[in-house]
This record gives sequence, C-alpha cells and structure tokens, in this order.
Amino acid sequence: MKRMQTEILVIGGGATGTGVAWDAALRGFRTLLVEKRDLTHGTTGRYHGLLHSGARYVLKDAASAAQCISENRILRRTHTHCIEDTSGFFVVTPEDEDDYPDRFAAACRRLDVPCTEIPASSALRREPLLNPRISRVFELPDAAADSFLATHATAQAARQAGATLLPYHELTRLHLSGGDGNRTISGATVLDTVSGEELHIDADLVINAAGAWSGQVAALAGVEVKMILGKGVMLATNARLTNTVINRCKMPGDGDILVPIHTVSVIGTTDEKVAGPEDLPIEQWEIDLMLTEGDELVPGLSRSRILRAWAGVRPLYQETQPPAESNQSKEGSHSNDQPVQEMPQDSRDATRALALLNHRQRDGVRGFITITGGKWTTFRLMAESAVDAACEQLGVSRPCRTAATAVPGVDQGHYWLGHRLSEVEDEQLQSELVCECELVTRSMLESAAQRNPTVTLDDLRRDVRLGMGPCQGGFCTYRAVGILHQLRTAKTSPVVGEWNVAHMQSPAHHHRDSSTAEASDSASNSASAYDSLQRSAAVDPQAAVSQPNLLLRDFLQERWKGVAPILWGQQLRQERLDELIYLSILNADHLPVDDKESPLSSFYRSDFSPSGSNQ
Amino acid sequence: MLDLLVIGAGLTGLFAAYTAARAGLRVRVIAHGAGATHWHAGTIDLLGNLPDGEKTVTNWTQAVPELPPAHPYRLLGIDAIAKAMDEFQSLTAVAGLPYVRAGAATDLTASSPQDERTSQRSDSDEQVSDPNLGRNLQLISPVGAPRPVYLAPAAQQAASLEDDRPLVIVGLQGMPDFYPELIAENLQKLGHRARSASLPLSRLTKRLDRSPLHLARLLDQPAEQALLAQMIVDVTAAGERVGLPAVLGLNAHTALVTQLHEATTARSRPSPQSSHSQQAGTSIFEIPTLPPSVPGLRLDAALRTQLTGLGVRVEIGMKACGFHATGRRIQWLETETGSRPLRHTARNFLLATGGILGGGIYADRCGRVRETVFDLPLTAPQSRTQWLRPLFLDRRGHPIFQAGVSVDQRFRPLDQAGAPVYDNLWAAGSTLAHTDPIRERSREGIAIATGYAVAKGVVTSQ
Repeated sequence: MKRMQTEILVIGGGATGTGVAWDAALRGFRTLLVEKRDLTHGTTGRYHGLLHSGARYVLKDAASAAQCISENRILRRTHTHCIEDTSGFFVVTPEDEDDYPDRFAAACRRLDVPCTEIPASSALRREPLLNPRISRVFELPDAAADSFLATHATAQAARQAGATLLPYHELTRLHLSGGDGNRTISGATVLDTVSGEELHIDADLVINAAGAWSGQVAALAGVEVKMILGKGVMLATNARLTNTVINRCKMPGDGDILVPIHTVSVIGTTDEKVAGPEDLPIEQWEIDLMLTEGDELVPGLSRSRILRAWAGVRPLYQETQPPAESNQSKEGSHSNDQPVQEMPQDSRDATRALALLNHRQRDGVRGFITITGGKWTTFRLMAESAVDAACEQLGVSRPCRTAATAVPGVDQGHYWLGHRLSEVEDEQLQSELVCECELVTRSMLESAAQRNPTVTLDDLRRDVRLGMGPCQGGFCTYRAVGILHQLRTAKTSPVVGEWNVAHMQSPAHHHRDSSTAEASDSASNSASAYDSLQRSAAVDPQAAVSQPNLLLRDFLQERWKGVAPILWGQQLRQERLDELIYLSILNADHLPVDDKESPLSSFYRSDFSPSGSNQ
Repeated sequence: MLDLLVIGAGLTGLFAAYTAARAGLRVRVIAHGAGATHWHAGTIDLLGNLPDGEKTVTNWTQAVPELPPAHPYRLLGIDAIAKAMDEFQSLTAVAGLPYVRAGAATDLTASSPQDERTSQRSDSDEQVSDPNLGRNLQLISPVGAPRPVYLAPAAQQAASLEDDRPLVIVGLQGMPDFYPELIAENLQKLGHRARSASLPLSRLTKRLDRSPLHLARLLDQPAEQALLAQMIVDVTAAGERVGLPAVLGLNAHTALVTQLHEATTARSRPSPQSSHSQQAGTSIFEIPTLPPSVPGLRLDAALRTQLTGLGVRVEIGMKACGFHATGRRIQWLETETGSRPLRHTARNFLLATGGILGGGIYADRCGRVRETVFDLPLTAPQSRTQWLRPLFLDRRGHPIFQAGVSVDQRFRPLDQAGAPVYDNLWAAGSTLAHTDPIRERSREGIAIATGYAVAKGVVTSQ
C-alpha cells in the first residue's frame, strides 16, 4: 500500500474543500485533498450559479445574509473572472405579500446590503421579458458565478501554494486511536477508484468538507453529524431570458430565482428533504412547479424550450441537541454556542449559515473538524473558519490570507456572455469547434484532457462546458471520444505544464497555447519536476481513454438522465435527432464492449428517475 | 386538378410522388422543410433489429414475420416490400446513383445515367428463389460498429464486413467529424483486419469550414480530386480496401469514386491479387458521417431530378395551416404564405410528414401527442410517464417514438373505431404507428415500401 504524509487532510473536492485546501496551503500547512469523484461533482456543480447578495435571507436568516454580503464583496476581488456581474432584481409580483417589500428594504439597510429601489418601468426597459405586472423592483449586487471555473481556479491556487489534490480517491476509513471521549484521528485510508489501489495517509488533522456527504464521513469517525439534506431541482432554458438575476421579493420559496449563466437561464429551485446525498429523483410535480412559478417572473417561461433538469442537495446543518459525548469532554463549553433548536420540519426553514463542528470539544475526537452548512457564496469564509479551528487544535497561530489573495486569472476581469464567441471569431477557430453549442475548441478539449484527470467525458464537461448546449451532446460526444482516442494513439509527447485554469473559458488562449506547444517544450522543463509530482499523484489521464466505447456510452447516459425529465416539444425532437445519430448512423448500441463499467456508470443510472413510475 | 398532393419531401414523399407520376398521375409535393434524408447515412436500412432489440437481423425476409401484426411491414408482406425495393433500385440506376444489395457485384466504372444494366434486378421473376434477396449488408459506422443495411449506394458497398480484404480507414486531419483510429480499433476488436491513416486536409483547402458538405463541394473540383487520389495512393497499399469519410463529391461523385478506384488499383496490377480485387468490387468506399449527410443529399438530389423530369414540382417552405373536408373526403389543404393561405386542391392526399423527428408528430408537456396537419387520431402512450425508459440505449427503445398513425391495409389513417377517417387520405413513412424506425434500423425501408404501396393504391383507386 502506498503511503503519504501530510499535516492537513481535506475530505471533499467541492467549493468548500478546495477552499480549505487553498486556505491551509496559504497558511503554510502541508495539505492534501481527496475527493471521491471529480472536483465539483457534488453540490458545487449542481447549483444555479448565484452569487448571493444576501438579500434573499435578510428577513429569514440574518446570519446567513450577513455572511453572504461580506463574502460577495470579497469574491468579486479574489475570483473576479469566475463571476459575471449581472446585478440582481428583487421584483414584487401581484401574487406577493404587501408588506414584505418594505420590511425587506429595511432589513437590507440594517444588514448593510446595498439595496436601491428603481422604477418598475426602467427595470422593464432593461429586462423586457419580465412580468409587466410587477409593481416594485429593488436592485442588489447579486451576480452569476461559474462554480466549475471558480473551484478549478481555487484548486490551482491551492496547488501553487503547495497543496496536493487527489480526485477519484474515495475515503474508506479514518484511523482512530484512543478510548471513548479521548479519541484521536491520525489519518485515513483512501481508495483510488480508477486504479483500485489503496493509499494510506498519515495526517495531523482531518477536515471534513464533504458537504452533503459530511454525515457519512463523520460516521467513519464514530461521530454523529445529522445533516438536513434539502434537494433542489433546477431547469435550464435554451437561451438567456434575462441578463439580470431575478428574485421574487417574498419569503424564499420554490421556483423564485432566475439566474442567467453563460448561454442559458436557470430557474430554481425546490427544497425537498431527502434521505441521502445521492438520492435525487426529479419528480414531475417539481418541474411543473418550477415552470408555473417561473411564469410569474417571465410570462411564457413555461412554453420556452427546456434543455435540462438536475438536482443538487444542500448540506444544511442545525445543532439540535447537546451531543451526549461532549458531557465527558472537559473543554466542551464552546460547542454549545449555537442555540439548541427543534429539528426543522422543512429544510426550507433550516439555516443557511455555515456550521463549524469542532469534534474535539463536541465529541471528544481530536484531529477532526467538520465544516458544513453555508452557501456557495460563503465557501471562502467556511474555509477560513475551518482552518482557524485547525490552527487552534494544532496550537499554532497563522492568520488567514485568502480574503486578500487573488486566484489565477482575475486579471481577465469579469466574464461576459460574448466572451467565447468573440475569441472564436477573432482567432478564426471555426474549423476547430468540437461543440458548436458552447464553442468548445479542439485545443481546449485536448488541453483539459491532458492536464486534468479525465475518467469520463462528464469531467471534461465540467472543465470546458462540453455538451451543455441545446443538443446535449448530440454532436460533440462522438467528436470528443474521437479526439481523446487520437490523443492516446498519437505518438506526440504528453503536454507538460500545469493546466492553466485561469484560461479555461478562453478558446483563443488554448489555441495559441497548442500552436506554440512545441516551441515552449524546453522552456517548461523547469516546471515539469513539480508538475510530474502533481500528476503522478493524480489520475492517469490515459487510463480512461483506453475505453473509448465506454466513454461514449457513459456520457450518452449521463446526458440522458438530465434530459429525460424534460423531454417534450422541440427538445424531444432534438433527442430524436441524437437517437438518429447514435443508433442509426453510429450504431453505438452494437459497439464492442471494451469494459463493463467505469467508476461512474452506475451513478449515471441510479441518479435517474423516469418522470413517473416507469420500470 | 391534382390527382395526388404529397405532404412532406422526405424519402417517403419523394418516392411516392415518383411512383405515382410514373404511372401517369398528376402529382405535387409540398413540404415545410427539406426532408430528414439530409440527416441520415444515405443507405437504405430495411430491418436491422427486431423490436425486442435482442436479435440482429441478417435476412429481413426471415425476420419480418416476427414483427408485431400491426407493423407496416406486416401490412405489406414480403413480396410488396421486395417489389418496392426493386423499383427503388431501378430509379437509382436511372438516376446515375446506383444502390446495390448484398452479394451483387457492381462495376462502378460501367455505370452511366442511362444504363439500366447497373440495376441488378432486371429480372424480377427470379427474386423469389434468390437466396440473397433478404440479406443485409454489414457496413461500417463512423465509430467502427457494423451497420445493418439492405441497399447501399455503390460507393459504400466495398465497406461490407463479409468481404475479407484488409481495410485501411483514411481520415482527413482537421475534419471534426471523422476519426479513423477509433474506427480501425473497433473493427480490430470485431476481428477484422483494419488499420488507419490520415491525410492532411490543409493540403486540400485553406478554408476553415470543414463540414462534410463543404468538403464534398470542394472535391467536385478536378484539381482537388487529383490531389486527393495521389495522397490516398501514398498512404495505402495494394490489395487494401480504402474507407474514407462520405465527402467524395456531391455532383461529381461517381467520377471521383471511379478515379480513386483506378488510382488505387492501377498500382496493384502487377500483383496476382489484382484480378481478385476487381471481382470483389471497388477498392474505395465511403463511411457516413454526422449530419449533414452528403450521401443523403445526393439521394435527395437524384430523386428531385427524376421528379423534375416527370413534371412534378417539389415546393419547400409550405407549412400546412388548415384543411377542409366534406364528409369523408378532404377537399383542400391550406399552407401559410405572407398574405393569405394558399389553397391546394387534390383528389388524394398523402401524409408523409414524418414522425417526431420530421415534425409530423408533436408531443407537448401535458402529454398530448398530435399529428400536425390533419390532427388525426394517434396510437401513442397514454401519459408522459410512459414515454421513456431509464436507459438511453435500452434496446427496446422509448415508447413515445412508436407514436403514430394507425392505418388499414391500404394505408388510410383509422379512427378509434377502426374505420378510415377520410376516403382520400393516405399515410406513409415515419408517421406510421407500431414501429420505431430508428431503433429497428428500418427508416428508409419503411419510407420506400409504404410510399410505394400508397402510390400504387392511389393509382388503383383512380
């Protein structure tokens, strides 16, 4: 069994986990992160992409609102290029309560959330598709965030600070020693899900940042962390309906946010308590509700073409009772800061504020911290408080530096809708397009595939938005498989140098990059020692590509699970064209079977619930 | 007055119009858009899988009796299907774009537009005893899987996987829709002798649009044809079959294939294998690509040229918006124009608007499934919960894609009581229920066979 040694081991490769790794590495800790699938595979990659101003929670959850607005200001500096500065409207529709808007505006003032009431007529001029019957409009600094890019950028910043990130490494065991009430965690065993090898990790401290999976991780330490898992369903339309984030000005409910993100608008969300983090069926009523409520914001939304439906699960947490074991702990006094509350009946009512569980005080387990709750918007703050607690446990004092440190790429400024198109046109990259819907070029795909672990095409989707447009992989699935297969069979030497996440969204950059690759081969040799260390620890990018037919089938099924719940009208017709391509022309269902299953084949299956009681 | 108004310009509509016009009827074709022929591989897939999805069909004459009784092929019977295929082959021979069956040798170089000999089935009385009658070809898909095809354009025939000559799949570097290494590797896994090679597309064109259609137009030019021939000879060896993406010319297709064939066989003449490869057909073949499909465009153009020769107009851009019926007879159909609806009066109407892909059937969010021109009663799953299955590649297919019009033995749409809705309305092609042509790999077979049957039915009823 391979062994690794680290000071801080982070469990979970979502926004929070990568944020923790970045923070800890910046503070000079040797840091290792393990994630059981790809980075952002969990909730981070399944949310609507809203950078909250906090206004949504000013009346319901003041703590969360205050955290959101302060983080909103910070992330605009540290992750500028991951944010589209759309601004946000809170609109009052005829269905909404009369006194809520005034209380809302007062609460925004109280919490220092910048809130300006603008005339409904000028809001309608800016957003002509908005419901013309809205009576009042407040403008707030909401924005759209690319959570894939942001997490990759944070991860790159963490790597540059010395952290090692291991995707596709699943935690199987936490190493516990000592007796009841005075136990210590000294490391973990993780499984490389691609190679099947086990890895033994010695660590001074383990930070559980597994989000919705936090309860499962804590259970490995014999600690009960009762998560409230609130499933949210979202739908993407095939075009942007508005260029501003639209919120209903009312108590947060279902289907009251519309976020423009890249080329689509996302309407969200529902909030349903679910039993497990991977138990995410999409029910017909949820889709209907989203569309009916969406019509209140943008009339006719329910008749627009829906590309896809997906569900994410909020990792909500509320301390409900004094933990039994903390009585035995002498230092247990800090742990009960939070008021003891009834378990909320509805996950809508659970707080969105972050929750830091210091298990030394709470459960008498040394070397173990859980950071959960929170929003995507507050991931940096969550990381900061987790690493603060780690410093305390390790008996060192090192100040947090993330709020004042920018991740790579911020010099590009905020991203904007026409960004990719302008680059493709300027550099004349038409012949290189692999995915016409999302303007993914061949060199972007190759660069992502060679320098980032690629186990499935879905990993590349998260990297470059492959297959996220109207045809949902109809044309690009085949091309991407062909290109990955060529990469493997090509005699050319593998590309060295770290994947430059800062330019992940930039076709022109990748194009220039690949055309000068040979020239710069020698120049990058100096960096290659560091890089090969990084990559030898990560997944072998060639491994997956040795099974092109499996890649193809997996991605077709992955796309299917998100379109099946919304197939009607023109999107059903589109799917029939995809059937024509993959069945009639490619005969993909009669390809030789090169391997039975990838680590994710069954996930793509179990994640899918047909729109009803189909077998 | 028109004898037959065909609604829909796909393979179904065009072949039905051709058949009826050849029999002397006055025919017109109207359609909202160009048919789905442009999307498909340009082959005639007659039946490749049975609906349970488990068995691959090698001979459709044996498989058709296993289809459900309401399936269009069961309504037609084997002889009627074979007769329609025969007529289609004759048409393609006349049009200079010959289609061939398994076991039939074509000498591509001998084909000429007027030469009826290139149709293998000159004597149709023989067909009953012909052991090859129902045999499918196994051609090569763009991922290297076998494609079950009944009639192939002559340029795809040499892809047959029953042929044991070694294969070399030649790609064009910089073309996004063709991956020779992947095709060759999958063919090897299936036990075939295959390798791959690449030609730099940059030597042929500096243009950035590298869609199959653009490349096909480029290869209509003599200079590029000669250059391509030389490049192919350079990367291939004697005795090899050469597979290329289906971009070998649009208008000068036959001439180009002939030239490439001669260029690759010329150098093998001294070798003892040469006579063998001459017998086995051409040494060059095309592999279909993603849409737009160049072989599909060629077929569409060939059909339209024949129709023009028969005086049949094909009007695209006409969206049906209303119709009028008296009793059980449709009097006229209206299409949208900029000012007022245009009225089309005819004695008979053929609905050939396709299924969900073609736009003949529309399924909405509430689970309603509609036929888009006449709002005919449909056979379809009752609610949206029954439309789909959990796995995309489920061999049984998704029930919604079997939605369609139920018809009587003469292909007249039926109402719930089982009686024809109108006496002079007919339906054919993918609009029909009780089949999922894409899963079955029967799209073109159903189009041709049912289109032909309706045309013959209309002629008889006149």
